[in-house]
Amino acid sequence: MPEHVLTLQGLSKIFSTERGPITAVDGVDFEVRGDEFFTMLGPSGCGKTTTLRMIAGLETSTSGTILFDGEDFTRFSAFRRNIGMVFQSYALFPHMTLFENAAYGLRIRGLESAVIKQKVDKILALLGLDELAGRYPADLSGGQQQRVSIARALVYDPGMLLLDEPLANLDAKLRVEMREEIRRIQKELGIMSIYVTHDQEEAMSVSDRMAVFNLGQLMQAGHPEEVYADPTSLFVADFVGKANFFPAHVASRDKTGAKASLGSGHELTLKRLNPVRESELGEIEAGYDATVMVRPEHVEIGPPGNGGLAYQVRRIQFLGSFIRYVGTCSDATREVIVDSRRAVPGIVEGSEASLAIHPADAKLFHKGDVA
Amino acid sequence: MSNVAAAAAFAQVPKKGFDWFPYVVALFSGIILVVFLIYPIGKTALYSFVKLDDELTLGNLTFANFLNFVEVPLYRDAFWNSITVALWTTLVSVLLALPAAYAVARVDIPFRTFLMTFSIIPLIAPPFIGAFSWIILFGNQGMVRRYFDMIFGIDLPTIYGPVGIVLALSLHYFPFVFLFTQGALAAADPFIEESAHIMGARRSRIMRSITFPLVIPAIGAGAVLVFVRTLGNFGVPAVLGKEFMVLPTLMVYQINGYFNLNAASAIALANVALTLIAVFFLARIQRRRRFITVTSTTRASKRHTGRGAKIAANAYVWCLFFLAVLPQIIVVFYSFAERWAGSLWPQRMGFGNYIHIFTELTEPIFNSVYLAGGATLLAIFFGTLAAYISQRKRFFGKWALDMTIMLPFIMPGIITGVAFLTTFNTGWIVLTGTASIIMLAYFIRRLAYIFRAVSAAISQVDSKIDEASTICGAAWGYTMRRVTIPLVAPGILAGGILVFSTLIIELSITIMVYSAEWQTMSILMFEQLLDDEIEYATATGSVAIILTMTLVFMASRLIGKSMAEMFR
Repeated sequence: MPEHVLTLQGLSKIFSTERGPITAVDGVDFEVRGDEFFTMLGPSGCGKTTTLRMIAGLETSTSGTILFDGEDFTRFSAFRRNIGMVFQSYALFPHMTLFENAAYGLRIRGLESAVIKQKVDKILALLGLDELAGRYPADLSGGQQQRVSIARALVYDPGMLLLDEPLANLDAKLRVEMREEIRRIQKELGIMSIYVTHDQEEAMSVSDRMAVFNLGQLMQAGHPEEVYADPTSLFVADFVGKANFFPAHVASRDKTGAKASLGSGHELTLKRLNPVRESELGEIEAGYDATVMVRPEHVEIGPPGNGGLAYQVRRIQFLGSFIRYVGTCSDATREVIVDSRRAVPGIVEGSEASLAIHPADAKLFHKGDVA
Repeated sequence: MSNVAAAAAFAQVPKKGFDWFPYVVALFSGIILVVFLIYPIGKTALYSFVKLDDELTLGNLTFANFLNFVEVPLYRDAFWNSITVALWTTLVSVLLALPAAYAVARVDIPFRTFLMTFSIIPLIAPPFIGAFSWIILFGNQGMVRRYFDMIFGIDLPTIYGPVGIVLALSLHYFPFVFLFTQGALAAADPFIEESAHIMGARRSRIMRSITFPLVIPAIGAGAVLVFVRTLGNFGVPAVLGKEFMVLPTLMVYQINGYFNLNAASAIALANVALTLIAVFFLARIQRRRRFITVTSTTRASKRHTGRGAKIAANAYVWCLFFLAVLPQIIVVFYSFAERWAGSLWPQRMGFGNYIHIFTELTEPIFNSVYLAGGATLLAIFFGTLAAYISQRKRFFGKWALDMTIMLPFIMPGIITGVAFLTTFNTGWIVLTGTASIIMLAYFIRRLAYIFRAVSAAISQVDSKIDEASTICGAAWGYTMRRVTIPLVAPGILAGGILVFSTLIIELSITIMVYSAEWQTMSILMFEQLLDDEIEYATATGSVAIILTMTLVFMASRLIGKSMAEMFR
């Protein structure tokens, strides 16, 4: 079977409201292939759900195209689009038994009842729901309802599975279980999946690739590790994982890197400059203001002095496999977070300390409003 | 010494003993309910098994009054007429309401809020005055009939008889079905239909397999309400029926004509039996109500935006609601006609009718306000206490209190009237001809409404708020005064205003228990209609409509609900 490809090109959506037009999605491009688990991540109102609903055919695009295997997807009827979708509220049919819920898509496809029975039984078994087939949605727990909605979406072998914040209504422990379960079934059936969430940890843990959205634009797409380690914008750096930002002044700049000085005069030689956007690259020149971003695990905490940045510990959190220090640093406008594998002897809450940044792991960005 | 001080301080804390409060209130409410509800119902039921002028003894018990329904054509016809009229009215109401509910919920309609408010006007206007408007339009000398005769030479049928009754009642009661169904359609989770759409279901299939099944309970609830109200309606068949009698008109005929309380009791019992059957169906439908999902999402259901759909929906909805309020418009128009005899247009317009009713007829208006006000205060007092203990206390026999208090819900007003008349005419307590009998009948009839409104208000206040006050050291009375009552006060007040606004034009109970000395606005109106003093009747009716509208508006402002929501 040839690999399916979903391609979005320059997709935009402008809602007309009473207060004028609002651009919800602004020129989004991406491609999803085969059985990829693709996640759209972003804060609420970033356009991820609208993008998903345009793929589903629930909203019409203002401009741009959605292609499935090279054909214009938006011209398809819902029937031919053959999508399975899971909603945040599950959207189960409350007046039908669990079996009838799962059978709904098959009945529309006009299958014989024996085939329907066989297919529904199989999918219910896959999701561990076979015992509950005669129950009504109101008799099920949230987690069970979620499984039913997944079963209902998968039973007619859709070409693609769309999931709109499916875990938002579950409690924390169940959420972790369910996301693994969704990924297991998705890989087992080999079905292309597009997942929407605002939880960056969830996105990183389940996705093959993820796309970070902000203000209707796709900021960055890539493997979770790549997005975390090498964010291409201050927004992504800040939204995905924890990040520390230090305002800096670019002292010199050449092809291999730049020298930047922090507020206290501390100088860093940075090899990693934000590569993507031409317009921003132009600003990281000698004499410009910029921002140094460094992840908490790339900052080292030590006793005061030592030529490090002055730091005052406000709070120490023991988080199991590592220890998190939160405190103030005169070089940063926000509190600085340090994740350390070991507790540093002699440093308690309220202690004076010093910070060392590994220049190789720090990244220089244009000046932004996060710092 | 410190021990003594500590002991003294400790002594001031009241010991936590047996909670007698709910039992005292329950007993008190129990006595009231037994004397003014159970006893009248029981006595009426017994009376129906005794012949006129016979003593109520074991030997005199007979089915004679019920055999009338088999043997006497007048009874038999009234019984079947009641059923036929109620079924047709229900059917026509549902058919009128469903397209309107769908249109308002799912098609772009301008002035939606205004329309929703508009839809309750028929519900709060007295139906019999509306019926009279149809006579003004389609009666023997009706305006529309005469125009048709003059212009087209067509002799339209008159409005009198079963068709007219069904028409007038349907246009009056269909908003119940409309409001329930529209509410269910608007509150339904839009994602449910979307998910069916994604699975490939076409619009007609979604409608058939998802949308419609989900609103069936709401349609059923509205339909049963229409059925029960129609069964208990006296005014419209009285005005439009002529020789066509239904159970309520037959009841009044038996009492006004022969003062045959026994026959009236039997008719009342037959009426209650029909109502019970309808309520039983409602209970069965309501059991499916748990299927209704009320979603927390802010995304509204998709609306049809096609031009054709919009034009059709708007045309239908506006025409229907215009027809529904037309009787009230006619009433208000007619109230300004000082002289209108034998011509197509009033000969003189002015405020004369209003001046007449406000100068000559102030007493019935005062009586209505006094009786309705007194009954409302009583209902607020008992209803609130009972709702409080029912919601917040556990005690033995609670279910009995809940059930008894809701009993009047299934009794048409006219039955309450018959029961009071039968019971308090003779025996231990004689109240006939007094203001008390009217006020108490009003009170018993409306107690359930206050009970329900206050129960709803209390259930929305977290009981932990009460507990927080208790833990801060407040005594029960203090908590009640400073915390519980202020929180539910808007609910109590709104319920009270609604009750008052319906009682001020109450006809069904009043027609049974009023006396010449205690004539009310509704009786005045009714008599003015019978005496052909239409211009005064319409003026009185206009005052009633405007007064009621204002009161309902106040109540809706008070609890922050739209006027339409208050009737859902």
